[in-house]
Amino acid sequence: MARPSSRWTEAHVRRLFWRAGFGATSKEATHWAKQGKGATLAWIMSGGQGPTLVGPTPTVDGHTLDPTNEWGHDVLWWLDRMIRTQRPLVEKMTLFWHNHFATRDQDRPLMLRQNKMMRGRALGPFASLLKAVTTDPAMQLFLSLADSDKSSPNENYARELMELFTLGKGYSEHDVREAARALTGFKSSWSRSGDFGGVAYVADNHDPGMKKIFHHRGRFDWHDVVHLVTTHPNHAPFLVGELWSYFVTEPLDRGTRTRLVRTYRDSGLKIKPLVEAILTHPKLYADLSSPAMVKCPVVFVAGAMRSTHRFIDDDNWVWLLDSMGQFPFEPPSVAGWDWGPAWLSTNTIRARFTAVNYLVQKGELKVEDKSIPPELSVDDHLARALHATGQPWISSSTQGSLRAMVPRFFAGVKTTNTYLMQSRADMCQRALRHLLLSGPDAQLH
Amino acid sequence: MPNAHRACDDFRTTSETRRRSFLDTPLSRRQVIGRGIGAGLAVYAAKAMPMMRILEAAEAQAAAAPNAPIIVAVFLPGGCDLLDSIVPMNQFGAYADLRPGLKVDQPVALGSTGLGLNPQLATGLNGGLKGLFEAGKVGLLPGIDYANPDLSHFHSRHFWETGLITPDQATGWLGRWLDRAGSPDNPLQGVSMDFGLSPVLRSGTAPVAAVSSPDDAQFWIPGLWGDAFDRTMETWSAISSPRPTAPGPAAAHSAARQAKNVADILAPYKKNDNGVDPLAGQVAYPEGDLGDRLKVLAGLLSLPLGIRAVTVEADGDFDTHDNQADDLGKGLAEAGGALASFQADLEARGAADRVITLVWSEFGRRPKQNDSGGTDHGAGGVAWVQGTRVAGGVLSDYPDLTKLDSEDNLAVTVDFRRVYASLLEQWLGTDATQVIPNAGSLGRLKLIA
Repeated sequence: MARPSSRWTEAHVRRLFWRAGFGATSKEATHWAKQGKGATLAWIMSGGQGPTLVGPTPTVDGHTLDPTNEWGHDVLWWLDRMIRTQRPLVEKMTLFWHNHFATRDQDRPLMLRQNKMMRGRALGPFASLLKAVTTDPAMQLFLSLADSDKSSPNENYARELMELFTLGKGYSEHDVREAARALTGFKSSWSRSGDFGGVAYVADNHDPGMKKIFHHRGRFDWHDVVHLVTTHPNHAPFLVGELWSYFVTEPLDRGTRTRLVRTYRDSGLKIKPLVEAILTHPKLYADLSSPAMVKCPVVFVAGAMRSTHRFIDDDNWVWLLDSMGQFPFEPPSVAGWDWGPAWLSTNTIRARFTAVNYLVQKGELKVEDKSIPPELSVDDHLARALHATGQPWISSSTQGSLRAMVPRFFAGVKTTNTYLMQSRADMCQRALRHLLLSGPDAQLH
Repeated sequence: MPNAHRACDDFRTTSETRRRSFLDTPLSRRQVIGRGIGAGLAVYAAKAMPMMRILEAAEAQAAAAPNAPIIVAVFLPGGCDLLDSIVPMNQFGAYADLRPGLKVDQPVALGSTGLGLNPQLATGLNGGLKGLFEAGKVGLLPGIDYANPDLSHFHSRHFWETGLITPDQATGWLGRWLDRAGSPDNPLQGVSMDFGLSPVLRSGTAPVAAVSSPDDAQFWIPGLWGDAFDRTMETWSAISSPRPTAPGPAAAHSAARQAKNVADILAPYKKNDNGVDPLAGQVAYPEGDLGDRLKVLAGLLSLPLGIRAVTVEADGDFDTHDNQADDLGKGLAEAGGALASFQADLEARGAADRVITLVWSEFGRRPKQNDSGGTDHGAGGVAWVQGTRVAGGVLSDYPDLTKLDSEDNLAVTVDFRRVYASLLEQWLGTDATQVIPNAGSLGRLKLIA
């Protein structure tokens, strides 16, 4: 059973930090449990006064990152923000929008520009975000909105706008075609050498004729389309459902949906009050003793690094994230990634296991040869491993299996064989740390 | 990728004696498998001996039905265009009117069918898809789709994946087939050649797996070797053994369990220490992810692992809203070339008579081109079956370009579920109504020669 929400424990803090961000360090968990629920939420919603990023600047081979030009550095640049940010909700919402308005196959400067745009508008009014997305060059090129003109409107953006971005359902094929006409007029420019020069609105390319969209008639243009989709009755329930399932595994019941839709509409379609209402909802804290949400790969990696005080100092995370099935800035399609249990297959969980290999080889997690006292008790072995890994949640059954493993490392080894006793002690601690970060429990938050 | 090597080295140092005992004594059947595909494999077979029960299960399934038919489903993502892939030469005037800027001027004629292929489909080993067609090893299915098609990628893909016209969550059509007709304990019976499991293979109860290559399936941990590594992986099995019911925890535990099963089963087929790939055959593949995946797959299919259903996703972008001439050409060349090599490879390995490949895409494209040098989502797409056992030829009617539907789309001439039902019954030997609802009303096509 869930504990009464009036209590605010380290488990509550850890849950909130995982879902709204990338996990809490042990220090954060202790600190915010003492400060109470109100103070914790205020910090999560708005952040403190200090710098956004704390900790060492990311490097590869000793050099600072070049996200625009070096392959994979864009991924490292964003992963670093997730690890070092003191505004975790802003990064987590930027990730939400990156998945929601998924764009791929575009040049790095355009993707980084889109990322910055989404970060700036992550918690603001939805309509303003949608306008920025509609005119965003990366999106325009990706969904063929650039150069869609009156003589032959391209339906790609209009369709995904309704299906994936704002409504889900409640529109017809006719609405898509008419909206495509209304969205015409954007034109891309390119230099002679083939460099992209931006997108401009050219009135001559726009279809000024009458359109009928959702039973409304008018000489609609792209501003009107944004207005029509955001005021469509399906929009608020659709976005509420998308955000709810991003943060909460429990199904969204009808009463909660109605209340959240009201919150969203009453605020004038602002994201922040809606997200705050979800983050304070008791259902977010319903299963503190058995977390049920699968961490997406970037949350798995950023969370493990954050809680073990590791920072970016090589580029292995790029191929590791790719093999886990999440390559930021290259979602698989306009529908984004498949979330939840779909993250985990035999291959991706093995890739997560391999990623932990790269965590335990450096920094505070590394167990040096001859560093573990051979006579350490089972309790001390486990406590030491839990401390090194940032006190991650494990089930009581996992705890039992890990405790049972410790004596088995020493089975058949004579205590007089000091070399073997020492090497087994070191290896046992390595195994414990690895399994705490890679086992089934570590996939959940 | 730096993955299995450390564990392999450690293993060699700890079990040299055991390895020698294998090499010096008469070979068991399992070691023959290893020897048959490359020297040095017994090493890894020995390593896997404590877990050989699992390989035994895979082999038992294969031994019980050594010639059991296999289906490989290859997905061309994005909605592959029919008109510019399989060109209606016998309707060329109407085609040229719809595709003034895009039309394929010099299609490669397919005998007297009135159809021609995009020249990119005639590239590749032995004349690519054209060569396969002429050898009677390809059955083309132009105009495939379903009635009142939904032009959303995600809805259409979901329908094709599940074999059901419903937006609701459901198991995949091949996952459901394995639930009915598969093994309860061999995860290799259903394999996605990818990092994740294809929704086509999502099952209710049957174990299935995702595998990119046998090397990628292995576990290792730095600074842990010998008995200590074995103890660690036994503990991995212990912490993976609970069977929680909530979807997230259930997925975490079952993925952890199955990942170790797959690693154990494939351990004998890893590349050996000289970097020689024991699975490699004689046939060259074109560069690209699809070729790489099909190459590993051909190796696995020639082994007695009880593989029955496989999914592979092509790399190309078939969602050609713009720049279709180039992008479609590239996608077709890569897909067609890889599939031609795959067919030749299966034949060289003597596995071809057990394998049929179904190539599919989620929908077709609008006949009239758009102004971006591309085409928008439409109906009536492209699919084909290939293999030595298929009925070669053009198996469905090519849509009439002068009779478009009310949305200016091609008329659908064959429902994809009819193809599924026909494959289930004629190839896999399962009553289609057990897998596809209302299969009785869908009719059948003769897909097998």
